[in-house]
Amino acid sequence: MTPNDEGISGRVQALTYTVIAAAFALVLVLFSVECPHSRRESRSDYARRTLPPEPAPVLRPSPPLSDTVFPCIDCHDVSEAVDQTRRVLTDDHETLTLAHGDLWCLSCHSPAHRDQLQLADGTLVEMTESWKLCTQCHGKKLADWRAGVHGKRTGFWWGPKEYRACVECHNPHAPPFKPLKPLPPPMRPGRIGAPMSAQAATTSGTLEGAESE
Amino acid sequence: MSDDDRRRLSPEGASRRKFLRTVVAGAAGAAGVGAAVSGEGVDWEALLQKNFREMSREELDAVLRRLEKKYSKRYGKDVKVSATGPLEGVVYGYGLDVSRCIGCRKCVYACVDENNQSRDPQIQWIRVLEFERERVERGFVMEDGNPYYDHEQVPAPGKVYLPVSCQHCEDSPCTAVCPTGATWTEPDGIVVIDYDWCIGCRYCMAACPYGARKFNWGDPSVPDADINPNMHLLGNRPRSRGVVEKCSFCIQRVRDGQYPACLEACPVGARKFGNLLDPNSEIRYLLENKRTFVLRAELDTRPKFFYFWGTA
Amino acid sequence: MNGLIQFVRFAQGSAAIVLRGSRQYWTWVGLLLLVIATGVAAYTNQLTHGLIVSNMRDPMSWGFYIGNFAFFVGVAAAAVILVVPAYVYQWGPIREVVLLGEIMAISAIIMCMLFVAVDVGRPDRLWHLFPGVGLPNFPSSILVWDILVLNAYFAVNFFVVTYIVFKSYMGQPYKPEFVYPIVFLSIPLAIGIHTVTAFLFMGLKSRPFWNTAILAPRFISSAFCSGPALMIIIFRVLRAVSPIPISNAALRKIGELLGYAMAANLFFLGCEVFEQFYAPTRHTIHAEFQWFGLQEHGIAVYTWFALVCNSAAFLIFGISRLRDRINVLTVGCVLAVAGVFIEKGLGLLLPGLTPDMLGEVYRYAPSLNEVLVAAGVWSIGALFFTLMARVAMAITLGEFRYQQK
Repeated sequence: MTPNDEGISGRVQALTYTVIAAAFALVLVLFSVECPHSRRESRSDYARRTLPPEPAPVLRPSPPLSDTVFPCIDCHDVSEAVDQTRRVLTDDHETLTLAHGDLWCLSCHSPAHRDQLQLADGTLVEMTESWKLCTQCHGKKLADWRAGVHGKRTGFWWGPKEYRACVECHNPHAPPFKPLKPLPPPMRPGRIGAPMSAQAATTSGTLEGAESE
Repeated sequence: MSDDDRRRLSPEGASRRKFLRTVVAGAAGAAGVGAAVSGEGVDWEALLQKNFREMSREELDAVLRRLEKKYSKRYGKDVKVSATGPLEGVVYGYGLDVSRCIGCRKCVYACVDENNQSRDPQIQWIRVLEFERERVERGFVMEDGNPYYDHEQVPAPGKVYLPVSCQHCEDSPCTAVCPTGATWTEPDGIVVIDYDWCIGCRYCMAACPYGARKFNWGDPSVPDADINPNMHLLGNRPRSRGVVEKCSFCIQRVRDGQYPACLEACPVGARKFGNLLDPNSEIRYLLENKRTFVLRAELDTRPKFFYFWGTA
Repeated sequence: MNGLIQFVRFAQGSAAIVLRGSRQYWTWVGLLLLVIATGVAAYTNQLTHGLIVSNMRDPMSWGFYIGNFAFFVGVAAAAVILVVPAYVYQWGPIREVVLLGEIMAISAIIMCMLFVAVDVGRPDRLWHLFPGVGLPNFPSSILVWDILVLNAYFAVNFFVVTYIVFKSYMGQPYKPEFVYPIVFLSIPLAIGIHTVTAFLFMGLKSRPFWNTAILAPRFISSAFCSGPALMIIIFRVLRAVSPIPISNAALRKIGELLGYAMAANLFFLGCEVFEQFYAPTRHTIHAEFQWFGLQEHGIAVYTWFALVCNSAAFLIFGISRLRDRINVLTVGCVLAVAGVFIEKGLGLLLPGLTPDMLGEVYRYAPSLNEVLVAAGVWSIGALFFTLMARVAMAITLGEFRYQQK
């Protein structure tokens, strides 16, 4: 079964080069043939779809204040003079945490009109428009909030959408978000198993810390 | 060799027999394998279904009707499976406010519910990584993130949270390597998977720099009551064993103008979404007004998922 | 018509040969069939429950099957180490054994294709890869290129072997015009299959451990270590169980070539180690994992063991006093096969994917199911080799000739 002992004849050599050249040419041809669909191409028969013009975003009405705290005039008698000195309240509202920068109660609550708020210059603002107070200091936030980049929105990215008043997420007396309990972490891959396989015990961790079992 | 020996022989030679065995096994196997592998019994129409991009309208409609019938029966709900096409003049972009995310994982589970992800074996398209704050502010790598944090309260002090899911890259490595053309980029920028075409070779999973793709190692299971009956063929329809899946930007929602489910679930409004081609969109506003970054920028995948710092 | 009758006789005669053998032979074939049966059972389990019966998970989406695939593509490519001396240089001692090398290449390619088939999640959809009926993503996906060249290499070798064997059976000299061009085509194809397989890994910019130009040269050099080493081991077994003439000169020459191959292999390894550790980056974590382990993942011991095996093999291949002693040479070959299998099977896949893109360190070791399926595939390859080699050897020894009635 050994090869021909006369060596490689000229004819064989010519044939060899032809075959190799043909193979090469075939590769080039194949390479220039595009797959029927490139990876950025989809169906050719998609209908041209557009959505109707979208309405303006709607500020969602804030949930009503509970009747234990509103209306304020149920307790506050406006006929009496108001003590406007900055102080920590001790008789009532003492359970209320006030941690909002340099502000105190009458920075925002109008002393003469207890059911309304006031801007820095005394202009009265309804409770439902409390966001006008926030934007006095948080101007950049106002722009972001109007643009939709600050705060939660729901609904349609193109269509009716709602955004929320500041007080829906931020307690005006102590605005920073309260931490929450997170939902459960993902399962470790080694724990995802099949009922009938002979699973070796595999553990995993991340670079930040190995799993403690 | 005696005549007796010759008479006792089988007519096929060793190599030919081997070859034939393989062919016969293969042919007989296709039906049986299809039945066994999909766990669903032999469904010839499904077995011979064409790639989504090649089906005619009639074939596509037939597929949608068949799946609606199958899933409605299976889950006891009135299931709708659509193949809504892209909107004109729209390329989707996603924004994530790193200064706001608190790592609560509400987005993870909202996504699981909306997109019918398997509960057991567990699949989650979104993974929230926890980083040390200094790390992120001074330069970080994704490998420093820890997805397994389990604190009593989040955000934990000194930590920053980055949820990661499919980045829907403009130059996605996954679509380049798929051998069967089962994954591609739609005209509106969504990288989609045809779950009936994927062979499960997992080359795309090796290629993805973000760990965004998940594989159905076993039979996926979703409780019947939790099935979302509003399905898109390339999005949240139930997948089978042995195929790769990933975030589809909630294709069943966004193509009708809705926000993705993760965005609506976020309690702090850290997620933003919109049309990159619309100069008045939320996403364009944040790209123009905020400091943004993308993950693994040096790989030049050009993701359409932009992380930004909402605080000025 | 005449040709058909002749071929049928050839087929019948081949069947007769393989169904007849010594106790040794039947023990071997019986063992292979047993392992194939367990492999089939394990694969059936995998078909029933899905790939979840393996230990592969999202962080380690490729594992033992693909590692074996990479290794056996190398073994197949290494047949070229015999083809070049035999057909280009017409060197006698190797001309006698080149056919067996080509048969080994065919068996290895079959194993490669089987490893890919058992690794995919939906094997009932493999037809999606074929042009005409499916939608192969050509030329973008390197996997499609790999399928192309693997099938081309298989076809070339299968044609050459069948043609030469049949002609010898007929007692006729084969036509060089048929054989030489195809054989010479198999040389660039051999380099091609392994380069394309390397490109499969190299082309992934997400995996810095693989995304390096030196991966293709490393694949070739390790292939040229493992393939011929396996051949020498097989030749020694064949020599022991049959009167086939395989000269020591041939074995020593292959051993000499192995020396060069292992030198290149170790040099490239040195380059890789220098690059990773001289100026470490965050990407070095993969090499760190490979050589020192991470979080009690014990891959490091295998890496060092493979280095020791390869170095010892290099010494044996390089020092002619050792190489010329056939038994020592054989030990060197066993060491080389073990070293390269660990380096390419485990040492390519595990560090490439660990830690994963999100920093996960998943401790992977193949499950029993994976090992049984892999053993089944190895046995199918071995069985194929056994059957073909028996026929080829019978013809070489003149025991199997066409007789006109």
